[in-house]
Order: sequence, then C-alpha cells, then structure tokens
Amino acid sequence: MTRSLWASVAAFALIAGSASAELKFTPGEGPFSWDSYNEWAANAPDLSGQTVTVSGPWLNPEDGFFRDVLAYFAEATGAEAVYTGSDSFEQQIVIDAEAGSAPNIAVFPQPGLAAVLAAKGQMTPLGDEMRQWVQDNYSAGQSWVDLGTYPDENGDPQFYGFFYNVNLKSLVWYSPDNFDDAGYEVPTTMEELKALTEQIAADGETPWCIGLGSGAATGWPATDWVEDMMLRTQPPEVYDQWVTNEIPFNDPRVIEAIEEYGWFARNDDFVSGGAGAVASTDFRDSPKGLFTSPPQCYMHRQASFATAFFPEGVVPGEDAEFFYFPAFAEKDLGSPVLGGGTVLAITDPTPAAIELMKFLTLPIASEVFMNQSGFLAPHKGVNLDAYKDGILRKQGEILLDATTFRFDGSDLMPAAVGAGTFWTGMVEYTGGKDAKAVADEIQSSWDALK
Amino acid sequence: MDNIAGTKSGLTWAVHLSVIFLVLLWLFPTIGLFVSSFRTADQISATGWWKALFPTEQNLVVRAAEPSAQVLRDGVYMIEGNVFEDFSVGVIAHWGVSSREISAYQPGETAELRDGSSVTLEADGSYRVESAEEMSGSRGQRIFVTATTPPEFTLGNYEFMLFDPQNSEGMTKAFFSTLTVTIPATIIPILIAAFAAYALAWMEFPGRALLIACVVGLLVVPLQLALIPLLKFHNAIGIGKGYLGVWLAHTGFGLPLAIYLLRNYMVGLPRDIIENAKVDGATDFQIFVKIILPLSFPALASFAIFQFLWTWNDLLVAMVFLIDSSGRTTVMTRQIVEMLGTRGGDWEILATAAFISMAVPIVVFFALQRYLVRGLLAGSVK
Repeated sequence: MTRSLWASVAAFALIAGSASAELKFTPGEGPFSWDSYNEWAANAPDLSGQTVTVSGPWLNPEDGFFRDVLAYFAEATGAEAVYTGSDSFEQQIVIDAEAGSAPNIAVFPQPGLAAVLAAKGQMTPLGDEMRQWVQDNYSAGQSWVDLGTYPDENGDPQFYGFFYNVNLKSLVWYSPDNFDDAGYEVPTTMEELKALTEQIAADGETPWCIGLGSGAATGWPATDWVEDMMLRTQPPEVYDQWVTNEIPFNDPRVIEAIEEYGWFARNDDFVSGGAGAVASTDFRDSPKGLFTSPPQCYMHRQASFATAFFPEGVVPGEDAEFFYFPAFAEKDLGSPVLGGGTVLAITDPTPAAIELMKFLTLPIASEVFMNQSGFLAPHKGVNLDAYKDGILRKQGEILLDATTFRFDGSDLMPAAVGAGTFWTGMVEYTGGKDAKAVADEIQSSWDALK
Repeated sequence: MDNIAGTKSGLTWAVHLSVIFLVLLWLFPTIGLFVSSFRTADQISATGWWKALFPTEQNLVVRAAEPSAQVLRDGVYMIEGNVFEDFSVGVIAHWGVSSREISAYQPGETAELRDGSSVTLEADGSYRVESAEEMSGSRGQRIFVTATTPPEFTLGNYEFMLFDPQNSEGMTKAFFSTLTVTIPATIIPILIAAFAAYALAWMEFPGRALLIACVVGLLVVPLQLALIPLLKFHNAIGIGKGYLGVWLAHTGFGLPLAIYLLRNYMVGLPRDIIENAKVDGATDFQIFVKIILPLSFPALASFAIFQFLWTWNDLLVAMVFLIDSSGRTTVMTRQIVEMLGTRGGDWEILATAAFISMAVPIVVFFALQRYLVRGLLAGSVK
C-alpha cells in the first residue's frame, strides 16, 4: 500500500515535471501580429536549459493568460519561463529583493513601489533603446516614459520599466435596458450627469452604487473618484503638482475635488443603501446592484475591470455598457483620462530575462493576453481586432486617443499616503467628516515622511 | 442534603445550557462558512447564508430565449421557454417586463410591449413571446419574476477546487508539499526540545536558571522581526529558499514554546523515580529515554498538535523561506489564496477552501486529542 502510494507520487511528480506548455493560439491564425513574432523568433538566441522567473500580482484567471503569453517565448528560445503570482506581491518583492532572492522580472502594480526598489539599486535600467521604443510606440509616449523613469541609488533618473496591461478608470457602467425602461439618456457632460443624478433621485430611484470596501485597502475606490474630479476641475499640471505634493493636500483646489466627490457619495438619496452604507459595501459586490430586480442603482463608476464582478450571465456590451465619466462643459479641460496599470522591470538581470523583456514588447505578447481578458494595451502596434469584445476595444480606443492621460495618483504618492492615509481619510470623509479636516490630516501624514 | 456526593445540583442544568450556548456561539461562524461553501458567488452576494436554508421569495431577472430561436406559427412569430431553466423551480407570485414595474402582472396575464410584441407568463414559469413581425436583436426580452424558490445548493465549488483540471494538479502538488513542510517541521523541534527540556529540568549546571529565563524571554519576540535577516543568512550560507530553509525556520520559531512547555512538564515528574534510577547507575541518557520520554508523552503529543496546526495553516513563513519565483514549491494556504482571484472577490472559493484544508488538521486533532487535555495541564499541577 505504502509502496504503491509512493510509486504514484513519483509517477505524478514525473508527469508534472514533463508537462510542457502548449501554445494557446496556432501561429499564423487569428487576429494576431504573427509577422513581428516570427521575425523576432528567427533571430532569438537559443536559451535552452535556462529559466526566467517572473513574479507579479496576477492570480486566477489572469495568471493563466500570462502563462499563455510566456509559452510563445519558450517555444522560440527553448528557455523555461515561469510566472508566479501572489496576492501580497507588494510585500514579498520587498523581502525578496532585500534578501537577494528576487525573481528575474517583476510586475509592479504600482510605479511608486518600483521607484522604491530602484532607489535601493535593486533594479536594472532597461537602457536608451527601450526608452526610445516606448516613446515611439505608446500613445502619449512621453507620459509612459516618465512613469517608468525613477532615480537610481545615486539619484540619477534612469528608465526602468514599461507598462503592460493598463486599465481605464474614468468609466461609468450602466444597464442600457434599465436606462431604456426609465427613459434616461447617457450624459455627455458633468452638468448633465449631475442633472441625471438629481432626476433619478426625484423619480424615487437610486442613481449610484458606490462601494469602498476592499479589506485592508478599504477606501481606494474613493481616491479614484477624487482623482477623476481633480482632473475635471483643474488642469493636468495641478494634478501633477498634487501627486508630488508641490501643492499641499489641503489646498482649496484639492478640497474642492473632494467635495465634488462628496456631492455624489454623501447624499442619502443618491447612493444605494444611503451614504452610511458606502464605506461598508465591498467594491466587488457594489456593481451587482445594477442588475438586480428592481435595480438598486442605475450607475456605477469603476475601472475597466468592473466586468469581472458582474453577476453570471451578464454580457458586457449587451446587458452592461459604459460611458466616459464626463468632464464639465464649462471648464474647457478637454477629456482627461485616468488609468492604472502594471509596469514590468528587471530585478535580477540575466541574458534570458533581457530577451524576455524584448519579447514582451512585441504586439503578440499583448494580443494573446487581451484576447482572453480585460487587458488594455497602450501599444500602438497591436491589432485592435484581438480585443476580447467590443466593449474592451472601445476602451482600447479611448486609451489610444487620450490627449491627457494621468496615472492613478494614489499609486504615485508615497505608500504611507497613497496606500494609507488617503484611503482611510476618504473613508472618514464619506462617513461625514469635514473635507478640510481630512485633507489637513493627510497633509500632516505626508509632512511626517519628509 | 444538597452536597452529598452523587446527587446532581440544580445548577447542573444551568451549566449544561451555558455550555450548549457557548458551543453554538463558537460554531456559528463555522456553520455559516459551511453553508456558504455550497452556494454560488451570486447567491452569496444576494442573500445571507441563514436565508439559504429556507424557501425564499426572490426577485429574479430572466432573459427569454434569443430572437434567433423564434418560430413562425399561424402567421405569428413566437418564442417559447421556461424561466426556471436556469433556476430551481419555484412558484411565481407576480412578474413584469420593465425594471420600473417588476410586479405589474399576475401569472397567466399578457403584457404588451412597446415594440408591439407581447409576453405571457404562466405560474409554472413557461412563457411565450409573440409578435406579428419578425423579432430582431441578439438578446431576449427581460422578464422580472418574483418567485418563491426552494433552497438551492451546489457541489460546484468543491468540484472546482478538487476535480477541475486547472486546479486539481496544483492542489495535489500543494497537498504533498505541505506535508513535506509540516511533518519534519513538527518532528525536528520536538526532538531538540525534548533533549533541551530534560537538561533544563534535571541536569545541574551553572547558568541553568539564566538559560530558562532566556527561553521564556524568546517567547515574546515576534517572528516577523527575524524574516529578512534570517532569509539573508540562509542565502549567504547557500540554503536559499527551499524545504531545508523552511524546516529550520519553523524549528527555530517553534523551539521556545516547545522547550518551555516540555521543561515545565518534566520538572513536575516525581523526583524519586529519577533519583532511584541514578542510584541504580543509570546514565542521564538512559533516564531520558527510558523514564522521561514515556512519561512525557501527553506533553509531547499536545505540543505536536500545536506545532502541526500552526505549520499547516502557515502562509507567512512559507512565503518567505520556501516559495521562490520558480513556482516549483507551494503550500496549500498559498494555493488557496491564488484561487481567490486577482482581486480576491471569490468568497465561495474561500469558504470551500477552508473546509478542504481543515480536513487533515481535524484528523490529526482527533487522533491526538485525548493527550491534549492532559498535556494542556502540563507543568501546572504538581
């Protein structure tokens, strides 16, 4: 009995070890850019026997999609490319880099964290060639270059990482059928959006579902609201000064943006469950209110990944649609777009890791991922037909057309503020605390870091 | 007369009732988790688990079949079907075709739609959409149904975790590597601690009291302090991340409690036996192996339970000392966290995973529990 158990364990281990990744899509077929892949593959060095390790925050099911991407790298070079995901990636990469057991490539969900590692000399610059590539091939290239450039341990700015998998945050989700039933029109300006909000409330219905709950990260959805409001009430330069603390957090312009958010979230008639329920509703459960019977709310402001939390059976693009979170008509600030994303950087350089980074710049590396998931590519070279559905393609086009793209400000602020007091402050503000008092507290926590 | 041995005091009932109350109170969250593990994600977010046990009145949104399913009969385009195809069969109280008026119609009535077609819904859930013209579009008409549905449970979550090809291989691998971590990580500290405890309890040497004080002092040092320095040390001496590293780490973190617990128990063993053995010419090692170890079994077993449970449930130490970016090693806790999804919203998986990963510790606990109570008193009674 024991012997057969061990035999089966051994057999299992053999099978597990020998299983090789299969290619998800047959080369030459589908809406993928095979030409550039073949060209790269023909010149790719033979890396048989080498292993490249990649760590990042993607878990089920995105980890599988990324492994599908890596399979094409393995196919062309013979190297083994391994991805491991972690829900506490932000903590683990710090421990591993500090102790000297970092993966070859890290996928940072926050540029601020990458900057911290760069400043300790734990990352390897990608060089001028790669910077030029991002500059030329990404829409609004310079802003992506800036987001991937951090000072090294000597304080000299270097280009460390490029963005892969971006999401759009300035979106409002709604059910077109419910809008039809009630006779509401999609608003195109912030004034119209506010009028619609008031009209829905006057009809005795609830306009918004807002949920800030997210375990230890509770409050972050509200920071996105405030950042969007900041971009809609002030020019982008002011936004940049705000995230670097050149203007203080308790500046009247910031407080104005917080109060614009409060106009929506702190009115019992405007949010599902009343203002008191906003902070305790989980952000993952919140969008489900759009599709209940009767609808708990008519609109939900959330990033492109909101579709992951729609109830089973809801087809994005048919049962659920989005509109761009509009700008004020009277303010003439264009159509600013807020987004987030993950940045790829080398934390342990080997020739195979550098080759993998080259592979990930190919359109195919984005297309295989975006064909299966809510992945948006800022890469101008990707085939838009590869998007999983029309709704993602539409978002991809918004991203490529964006004149003003700004990154999620809370991810750019120091972690103690952007992933700390800003979150908790927004929960307190939503709970009824004065905006000025909250902003003062956040500023003093920022001062304490200097 | 009340205090005669053998008669039951009136208070016994109060004791029993409060014990039952406390047990229920403790079990309450577990029962909730258990019920949730048989529900789908949408059910969990729609109603609480306590409502899952009884028939409930629910508001459902159902889509009629797509217009491509229409048939032409007697000059009328028709789509027929049943709203309970995707849900368990229930009783319809009322229904509607607009999100604004979800209870406008009674079963058997016909609703006229804006585009000229009409919908009829019977109490058993069968519907008929009729139209004089050909229907178009890619989605079926929405029907809002208020129905009382019986409790509905699914084994899907367990199937997903254990038998889904995408997960089963990873779970099996994680299960065996968790055992590879926990068994040595339980045995090694017991071995070392038993020797140390004997020495600290029964061997006379200078500085003994100081050593004991040090061990007690180590009990209060949080292990988080040691993570980075210890990992750096492991990397420097060439162990790196791997099983050996995680065994050593668990051993180190478990030792203070193990030594303290065992030493206090051994000190309480009768001095006469040990002195008799010494007079008869037994060496310290013989005394340890032949007398102390068998007598200390309850304490050893209870520490084994503690250490096993703690290493089985551990995620932090495994993440730091075992799991490297090659992805070849993993543990159950980590496998479960991965299954929760990128944004951690899959509660149904969490509930199911809790019960699956609980199975082994429960077996270990019941196998050793008769020693636990005896062992818990270790050192407290002379």
